[in-house]
Amino acid sequence: MSEDKDRVEGYRQQSGKLPFPRPGSGGSRGTSDLRDEEAIAGIKGTNEHKHDDLVTGSAVGRPTALVDGRWKVTGQAHYGDDVRLPGELIGRIVRSKHHYARVLSIDVSAALELPGVVAVATGRDASGSFGVLPVTKDEHAMAQEKVRHVGDLVACVAAVDESTAREAVRLIEVEYEELEALHDMREGLEDSDEPIHDRGQYHIGSSNVQKRVFQEFGDIDGMADNAVASHSSSWKFAGANHGFTEPHAVVANWDPSGRLTLYTPQQVPHYVHRALADVLDVPMHQINVHRTFVGGGFGGKSDPFPHEMCAAILSRKTGRPVRINFDREEVFWVNRGRHPSRIDMNLHADSDGRLCGIETDALIDGGAFASFGHVTTYYNGVLHTAPYEIGAFHYTGARVWTNKPASGAMRGHGAVNSRCAFEVGMDGVAEQLRVDPITLRLANLLPPNSATITGFRVTSIGMRECLERVREASGWKEKFRKLPHGHGIGVGCGFFISGSGLPIHWEPNKFPHATVHLKVDMDGGVTVHTGAAEIGQGSDTVIAQSVAEVLGLPLDMIRIRSRETDTAPVDLGSYSSRVTFMNANAAISAAMEIRQELLEAAAGMTEAPIDRMVIGDRRIYMRDDPKIGVSYLEALHKAQENKGALVSSGAYRTPPMGRVHKGAGAGIAPAYSFSAYVAEVKVDVETGQTKVLKVWAAHDCGKALNPLSVKGQIIGSCHMGLGQVLSEEMKYGRSGHLINPDLLDYKIPTVHEMPEVVPIIVESNDSEGPFGAKEAGEGPLLPILPAVCNAVYDAIGVRTSELPITPDRVHRMIEDRCKQEGMGPLDLVSPVLQHSELQATLEARASEHAERDSRRASDPDPPDYNNGALFGFDPEIPADEQDERWVVSVTPDSGYMESPRLAGSAWKHTERRHGGGS
Amino acid sequence: MRMPPFTLHTPGSLDEALSLAGDLQSSGQEFDWVAGGTDLLPNYKWHLNAKSHVISLAGVSELTELSRTHIGAMVRLQDLADSNDVHPLLAKVSSMVASVMIRRSGTVGGNICLDTRCFWFNQSEEWRESIEWCYKCDCGTGADCRVIPNQNTQCVATYQADLAPVLMCLGATIHLAGPEGGRSMPLTEFFELDGITRNVLAAGELVTHLTFPSDILDWQGDYQKLRQRESWDFPEAGVAVLWKPGPNGSPSDLRVATTGLESIPGFHSPEADGVLASWEGESSIDELAEAVRKAVRPVLNTWYPPSYRRKMVKVLTKRASSGLLEV
Ligand SMILES: Cc1cc2nc3c(=O)[nH]c(=O)nc-3n(C[C@H](O)[C@H](O)[C@H](O)COP(=O)(O)OP(=O)(O)OC[C@H]3O[C@@H](n4cnc5c(N)ncnc54)[C@H](O)[C@@H]3O)c2cc1C
Ligand code: SF4
Repeated sequence: MSEDKDRVEGYRQQSGKLPFPRPGSGGSRGTSDLRDEEAIAGIKGTNEHKHDDLVTGSAVGRPTALVDGRWKVTGQAHYGDDVRLPGELIGRIVRSKHHYARVLSIDVSAALELPGVVAVATGRDASGSFGVLPVTKDEHAMAQEKVRHVGDLVACVAAVDESTAREAVRLIEVEYEELEALHDMREGLEDSDEPIHDRGQYHIGSSNVQKRVFQEFGDIDGMADNAVASHSSSWKFAGANHGFTEPHAVVANWDPSGRLTLYTPQQVPHYVHRALADVLDVPMHQINVHRTFVGGGFGGKSDPFPHEMCAAILSRKTGRPVRINFDREEVFWVNRGRHPSRIDMNLHADSDGRLCGIETDALIDGGAFASFGHVTTYYNGVLHTAPYEIGAFHYTGARVWTNKPASGAMRGHGAVNSRCAFEVGMDGVAEQLRVDPITLRLANLLPPNSATITGFRVTSIGMRECLERVREASGWKEKFRKLPHGHGIGVGCGFFISGSGLPIHWEPNKFPHATVHLKVDMDGGVTVHTGAAEIGQGSDTVIAQSVAEVLGLPLDMIRIRSRETDTAPVDLGSYSSRVTFMNANAAISAAMEIRQELLEAAAGMTEAPIDRMVIGDRRIYMRDDPKIGVSYLEALHKAQENKGALVSSGAYRTPPMGRVHKGAGAGIAPAYSFSAYVAEVKVDVETGQTKVLKVWAAHDCGKALNPLSVKGQIIGSCHMGLGQVLSEEMKYGRSGHLINPDLLDYKIPTVHEMPEVVPIIVESNDSEGPFGAKEAGEGPLLPILPAVCNAVYDAIGVRTSELPITPDRVHRMIEDRCKQEGMGPLDLVSPVLQHSELQATLEARASEHAERDSRRASDPDPPDYNNGALFGFDPEIPADEQDERWVVSVTPDSGYMESPRLAGSAWKHTERRHGGGS
Repeated sequence: MRMPPFTLHTPGSLDEALSLAGDLQSSGQEFDWVAGGTDLLPNYKWHLNAKSHVISLAGVSELTELSRTHIGAMVRLQDLADSNDVHPLLAKVSSMVASVMIRRSGTVGGNICLDTRCFWFNQSEEWRESIEWCYKCDCGTGADCRVIPNQNTQCVATYQADLAPVLMCLGATIHLAGPEGGRSMPLTEFFELDGITRNVLAAGELVTHLTFPSDILDWQGDYQKLRQRESWDFPEAGVAVLWKPGPNGSPSDLRVATTGLESIPGFHSPEADGVLASWEGESSIDELAEAVRKAVRPVLNTWYPPSYRRKMVKVLTKRASSGLLEV
C-alpha cells in the first residue's frame, strides 16, 4: 500500500514519464491536514431546516475569528486613506460658512495662481443630481445655486500636497447672499418663502416637508374607549452620529484606458457606482468602484457622497489620481446620523391587558438632504407594529428639511427612537395595570409564522425565549421594584428587519437582491466573488463559512473577492442588515451547484449511488459506509476533466410578501430579528449621573453562523446604544452651529462607562435563513435604550422622555420630583409594585401562548395567524376583512385634520401637482 | 488638520531657554513655551493664536525635580500620580487628569498654565470663520465675545485644569523665571483675569517650579470632579476642600478652591473662614457648600449647562468635605 501511495489508477500517463503524483495543490503538504476527524455530516439543529442536508460540520456554528482580522491587527489592512497611487494629488473641499445662502459667485483665480495647485472644480463641473434613493435625488457634487448647511460643498481643489491644497481653499473667494436659515424642525412643517429644496410638482405645499406618512390600521375609534390604562409621552431625541473610527477618505483615478477607479470605504459600492455614472455622465461599465477596508460604517458610509464625486471630477480634470481625506469635523458635516426627533407616543391597554392601541406621531429632522429619509419616515412607525399583537395602530410621520448636516441611516435605522418611546410606554402601561412588565410582554406576543397588523409576514420568532432568558439570567424577580433607592433594573425589547424586502433600484422579481459567484480551480481553493461589503461586521467571514460548510472545506481554502465592482456581481451592499440573510443564501446556492458536480464526480468514481453520498472534511463518501469515498481533490479534478475550473452562480431573491396599501413595502423583510435586554443601573440622586452596571442581552439571530461575531455585535450594539441613551448628542448652539464636531465633545462612552454585557444567543432557526440565520447587526441596538430608561425609573422613579439622559437632565427631573413630593433627593423612595389580579391572568395567558408558539414553530405548515386573533377574530383572515371597525387607511380624513398632531400637521399642505403651494 | 508652520527651539538649560526668549523678544518675535504639548499642540492644529516660534522645555533639566515640597514644572502628570513622596491628594488629583497617555506627556507646569476653553473657541479655523470669529482669537476682525456679547472687554472662557485647586489649598508657592530674573508668589496670586490673560506671566517668563510649606502633610481633604466620562473629560466643575484636623473633630484650618467654573480657578477663603470660626459639623458643611455655590459664576461655554454646574458645586463641596465628619 505504502510504496505506491502516489500512484493513481486509471489516469492516462505520458510514456516514459513517472506517474502523475496524487492530485494536490503543490508544496510538501499539497492537501491540508485533516482538521476534525469527528466531523461527520448529518442533520443538526432542533427543528428541521432546508439546509440541514448541507451541513458538513466544517465551519458554520463555530466561533470563528474574522478572516480579515490578521490584516487589521498587523496593520496591513489598507483603509481609504492608505491607498497611495503614484503621482497622486491631494484634494480639499471648500465648504459653506453659512447655514443657508445663495452662491452668487466663486472666484478661483487666486487659488489657481498658487504654485502647486493643479485644478479647481465647482458646481459647474458637474450638474447631475444624485441621492441614495432614486425618488429623492436632491444632492450634487458641489453647490449648484444654494448651500444648505454650514459645511456644505461649494468647490474643491487639487494640489501637490495637503498644505498647498489647504492654502488654496483659503484663497477661493465665494460671494453669498444669506437666506433665512431654518433650525427648528417644527418650523419645517410651515410654509416658507424659500423652501430648502424644490421638488417640482411633488413639492408639499410651500413647506419643508420632505416626506409624510399617515397610517391607520385596526380599531382606531375603539382604542381609547377600550383602554383602562394609557401611557402618553412626548419625546425629544437628540441627533447622533455614527462615530466610526475611520473618517471618510477617497482616491479617484482615471486610468490611461479612460476608466475611472474609485477607491472608497463604502458600505454600498453599487449605489456610488450608479451615482458616479449619473454625475460624471459616463457609463457604469467605465467605472470600477474599489471598496477599501472600511473602518466602521454603521450606516454612515452607505450613501453615495459628494466628496466621492469631487475626487473623480478632479482626477478627470488633472489626469492624475486625487486623494481626499476628511478631518473629523468634516465627518460631522456629511453626517447621515440618527435623526433628531420629536415623538409623541400613546399606548393603550384594555382590561385584559391587551395592547388595544398605539398612537405614534414622529417628526424627524432630516437636515439638508433627503438621504434615506423616505424610508426612515416609514420605519419610525411600522417597525414597532411587532412583536406584540395590537388592536390599533395610528401613525403620523413627517420628515422635514432643515439647515443642518443631513440625517440618514444609522444602525437600527428609523426604528431606534420610536422603539425606545414604545418600550418605555410598555413599562408605563404595566405600572398602571400593576403587572410585571415582562409578563405583560409575554402575554401579548405574536406567534411564529404570523402577520402583523400592517401585514408583515413574520416567520421565526425567538422573542419569548429572549425574554425568559434575560429574566432568568438577571435575577429579575428578586430585583425588579425591590432594589434600594438609586439602584434599578429595567427591560426593553427590539424587533428589526433582516434585510429590506424591496431592492431600491429594481423590481424584486426582475433582478436578484444578491448574487454570488464561485470559481474552483485545480488547486482546490474556492474563490468567492461577492459584492457584499465587508465593513468590519464579518461579512467576508460569514460568506466564507457558508461556502466552506457546504463544500466540507476548511476556511483557509476559501478566499473572498468582495472588493471591486469589476469582479463582484451587483449587490445591494451592507445596510438594512441584509448581508448574512441574502448573501449567505446566495453563496449557499452557488456552493450547492459545485457540490452537485463534486458529488456526481465522486459517485462516478466510486460507483456509489449519488443520493447516498455526503461531503465531510475534504472527503466525499457514502453516508452509511464512510470507507467508500474519494478525497475532495480527487473528485474535483475528476469534475474538471472536461471544463477546467468549476464556476457557479447563486442568487437570492425575497419571496412575494406584504399587503398592497401605499407604503406597504416599507418594513417588509424576509425575516425579522428579536431581542430583549435587561439593564441594571445606579443613579446618583444628587448629581443625576447614571452608571450602567450590567446588561443581560438576549438576541434571536435565527442561528449563530459565527457565534463570536454575534456576541461581538451584541456587545458593540450595547455600546453604541448606550452612547445614544447616556451621552451622545449633536449639540446645536444658539446660532444653529453644531458645537461639538469632535470626539472630545461628542461623547462616545469609553471603557470606563462600558458595563459588563452578558450576550445570550437565541436561535429560532428561521426556515428561509441560511442554515436558519437572521440578522444580528442592527436589531441588538434597539432594546438597550429603553432598558436603561426603564431601569432609571425603577431606580429613582423619574420617567425620562428626552435622550440622552445626561446628568443635568436627570438632575432636573429629580428636582421636579423633589418639589412635587416636598422632600430632598435622598429621601425619595423608588416605585413599588403590588400585583393586581391581572397579573395571574397574564401569566396564564403567557403560558398558553408559549405552548401555542412551540406548536407553531415546529409545524412545517402552520395555519395562518393574523394580528387580531388575540382580540377574538378568526386568525386565518385579516381582522379588517372581518370587522368594518378595523380600518386600513393611508390618508387622513377631514376629521383628523381638524386637530392634527405635530407631524400629522404635515398633511395640511397640498402637493403642488394637486394645486398646493405657489 | 495640519499644524501651522513654526520654528521649534530646544534649549538644554534654563539659561539657554531664557536667553532664547530674550533674543526673540528683543527682535519683536512672538513665541510660546511648550511643555508636554497636550494642550498647546491641539490648539495650534486649530490655528488658535499660533506663534511662529515655539520653545520646548523638554530638554531643560532644571525643571524636573520632584519631592514632597518641590515640584518642577516639567514633572509629568503620570509621575506625579505614581509618586509616593508627594501629598497623597496631589497624586490622586493628578491621576484624574485626562487619560494615562496624555498624563505621560502632560506636565505640571502645562496644567497650571493651561489655556482657557470655550466651545466657540476650541474649534477649527473654518468653524470659527462660520461664526465670524470671537474676541479671544478675532483674526483682526474685532469680533465680539460669543458667550456674553456686546461687551468686548473680556473673554470668559473657562479654566478647566484640575491641579490648581488642590495646589492652592496645599499652600503652594509658584516660582517664575524670566529674562529679567526670577520671582515667586503664592499660587493663589498667580492667576489673573481674563480668559485671555489667564495669569501674571509676563512676556518671556516661565514657571520653573512649585514649593510647599513643610506642614504640607498635616493637611487632609479631597478633590471632587464633575465630568461626563471618567476616561479623559475636562472638569466641568472641580472642588478641593482641605483642612487641618483640630481638637474634638473640628478643623483648625480650612481651605476651599474650585476649578472649571470661571476663567481662573477660585480660592474661596472668605467662605472657608466664614464657617471655620463657628464650626458645627454637618450644618457648617452645608453652609460652606451653599456659600461656594453662590460664589461661582459659570457661563455657557462647556459641555454642561452653567445652572447645573453651579448646583453641582454644592454637592461636590459637600462630598469633598465628607472626611470632616469622620474626624
Ligand atoms: C483629550 C484631552 C483631555 C484632557 N483632559 C484634561 C483633564 O481632565 N484635566 C486637565 O486638567 N487637563 C486636561 N487636559 C489638558 C492637558 O493635557 C493637561 O492639562 C496637561 O497637564 C497640560 O500639560 P502640557 O505639558 O501638555 O501643556 P502644554 O500643552 O505643553 O502647555 C499648555 C500651556 O501652558 C504653557 N506652559 C507650559 N509649560 C509652561 C511653563 N513651564 N511656564 C509657562 N508656561 C507654560 C504653554 O505655553 C501652553 O500655553 C486634556 C487634554 C486633552 C487633549
Ligand atoms: S468666552 Fe467669548 S471671547 Fe472667550 S473664547 Fe469664548 S466666545 Fe471667545
